[in-house]
Amino acid sequence: PDKEENKSNALSKMEDDESAEFCSESEGALRWKEGLQQKASEAFLRQQRSTPNLRKLVYGTVAEDDSDGEDGEELGGLFRVSRPEKGKKHRADGMDCSRFDPDGAHDWELEEMFDSIRDCFVTGKWEDDQ
Amino acid sequence: MASQGLNYDGCNFFRQRLVLSTLSGKRVKITNIRSKDDNPGLRDFEASFIRLLDKVTNGTRIEINQTGTVLFYQPGLLIGGEVEHDCNTQRSVGFYLEALLMLAPFMKMPLKAVLRGVTNDPTDPSVDQLKYSAVPLMRKFGIDGLELKIVKRGMAPGGGGEVLFTCPVRKTLVSVNLTDPGKIKRIRGIAYSVRVSPQMANRLVDSARGILNKFIPDIYIYTDHMKGDKSGKSPGFGLTLVAETLNGTFLSAEQVSTPQGQGEPVLPEDMGRNCAKHLLEEIYRGGSIDSANQSLALLYMTLRQQDVCKALLGPLSPYTIEMLRHLRDFFQMVFKMEPQKPSDDERKGGDKVMMTCVGAGFTNISKSLK
Repeated sequence: PDKEENKSNALSKMEDDESAEFCSESEGALRWKEGLQQKASEAFLRQQRSTPNLRKLVYGTVAEDDSDGEDGEELGGLFRVSRPEKGKKHRADGMDCSRFDPDGAHDWELEEMFDSIRDCFVTGKWEDDQ
Repeated sequence: MASQGLNYDGCNFFRQRLVLSTLSGKRVKITNIRSKDDNPGLRDFEASFIRLLDKVTNGTRIEINQTGTVLFYQPGLLIGGEVEHDCNTQRSVGFYLEALLMLAPFMKMPLKAVLRGVTNDPTDPSVDQLKYSAVPLMRKFGIDGLELKIVKRGMAPGGGGEVLFTCPVRKTLVSVNLTDPGKIKRIRGIAYSVRVSPQMANRLVDSARGILNKFIPDIYIYTDHMKGDKSGKSPGFGLTLVAETLNGTFLSAEQVSTPQGQGEPVLPEDMGRNCAKHLLEEIYRGGSIDSANQSLALLYMTLRQQDVCKALLGPLSPYTIEMLRHLRDFFQMVFKMEPQKPSDDERKGGDKVMMTCVGAGFTNISKSLK
């Protein structure tokens, strides 16, 4: 192992020398190479922020609050008011239906909306390779 | 069969849980079914659904407690064969059929089901919509020779319709990549009316065409007016539209009149326009699978050989998101999801998501060898 280490050290030293030489030769031209790792991580984080994290949305653990007034609604210290809860329970006993109706966010009276899907049709613009 | 069971709370996503339980062989126990409701426990339509599952399987053990708030389900083997079922009219046949589409290819014998009840209602995907969008999707997975036929049409609330569904069995599903939806070449549809003036269907067609003609000239909407004993017990009308692409993707939308005696009546002109707008919204969402069939496609992708399968979807519906969670619970299947933003100069609707998975290596063990 010692031998290998020496070898790799020598190699990296050689690279260092080379890069130093290179840099001094073309000062500024290869600036973009500086801090590549940092730039990459920044770009990655930027992308992470801009796109909603679907994985987390679907598979992430959902924080459930069990403190929706189960206790503290006792009558005479014996009976408990039982009413269908709004939040979590409502969803658990919701209607089993696969429909995904539009939420009305898009107004299909507008010409802009029509334009946003023009290319989905054969009458729209085609890509060059098709 | 796997010995571990799964526990759930509440009656939501009832069909998904029982269907996945049947396919995976895992027991499932659902507790607190409407336990806080004034009328607790399972409803009639859910009981009807359980009976349907019992008919297509052999050896299924079902236990329900006295109040109906707890259900224990131990799945048996999928047998198939000839089945007749009177679907409870609280929900339409689509409700039952959606689950049957998921199970049908994995039976021992080819399924031939006669389902009676409400064929079209505003809550669930109608039989027409499933026929126009789910059946072509199933064909893509190698399930040829499907038939879904409306023998009698029955509108909500009375029902009285009859549907014939036949499906062959498959040992394994074929490999598909649904990454490119392609461009829409034509729009088809069906406007139906029963126990009202046949003119209603024509009025629906005219108003829907008014909007869709701005995009594409190839539109044909059939009108269907069933009479006599084929017209069910309640009056009503509706429209189902489907956009077909060059790559064989079917995007569908539909509108059904409000059931007699429930809510405001609608004008066919308004309904036609609304349906056309729903179809445009569906095209905006886009992807290779329309929002009504996302769960079916994801299930089929899971139940495949161990190779990579991709599909481009529009925004995931809440029902689909729950399906993904259930697929993880029952099959340990986790999809890779990559959001895809359209570029600025593209006019192809909203954001899409690319779903990737490696099949669970599922084979139909019930299918008899020939």
